[in-house]
Amino acid sequence: MEENENKIKKVGIVSCSGEDLPEGTISRIATLEVLLKKKPFGTTTICLPLFIAGGEGDRLFAKNNPTITVDGCEKLCAKKATEKYSGKVTCSINVRNFINSNTKVCNKRNLNSREKEIAGKIADVISNKVDDILKESKSYND
Amino acid sequence: MDKKKVIVIPCSGIGKPIGTVSRETTYEIVEKLRKEKCQTVCLALLTSGDKETIEKLNKNYCITIDGCAKHCAKKNVEACNKIPDKSYMILKFAAANPDKKPEGIIDIGNGGSDLVDTVASHIVKDIDELTKD
Repeated sequence: MEENENKIKKVGIVSCSGEDLPEGTISRIATLEVLLKKKPFGTTTICLPLFIAGGEGDRLFAKNNPTITVDGCEKLCAKKATEKYSGKVTCSINVRNFINSNTKVCNKRNLNSREKEIAGKIADVISNKVDDILKESKSYND
Repeated sequence: MDKKKVIVIPCSGIGKPIGTVSRETTYEIVEKLRKEKCQTVCLALLTSGDKETIEKLNKNYCITIDGCAKHCAKKNVEACNKIPDKSYMILKFAAANPDKKPEGIIDIGNGGSDLVDTVASHIVKDIDELTKD
């Protein structure tokens, strides 16, 4: 195998997108911010329901590439599913760790400005993590 | 005995605008149009085998709203040994309403919102039929 073939080109980001929690929508929006705006060339998404339903391509990708999971609550469904089907995740983020005890998140459909701000902060964290992973992979391969 | 509710489960597919349409349609139904009859559950939680969520699913009616023909929501519900009472696919509605086109994944725009209204108004008729007794 050529040495360059080992180089990691993309990081997979898996969002729980939990429908029944505002934090699920925050996980989805933060993930989409990174995928579509902050790191469109360094990332790809893995559709969690498809992944669980048996999407072989997504499972293989997650097995062979670094993954960041973004969960809305302590149940960590995205992390657990990724580790069950593809192996250890590189980084696991729980939205609730970014919400302080004085802040109440309540919107599942249209996030308010405070909820959008939290999603933005999480997107920054994901984005920095993507940079770290790609840099590490580059220095490993240089 | 409590009256059976309708559990509405979208695929929420993250890679396509139609995934967002499935999610928004669900919220339009459970938060607005049929608040008293419907609720949603986290699909990821269901598929991770959460007992309480599976029990809720089995005690109530269930409908799935998928974005595309991969039918991930429907398949994941079936994997929990529940056959959805009704299943819908956004792509079918989009094909029948070419003037209602979702724009982006984060913001589906006016076309996407119109499509949400069309799909939701179709589905609530079936919900009323399911829960008429």
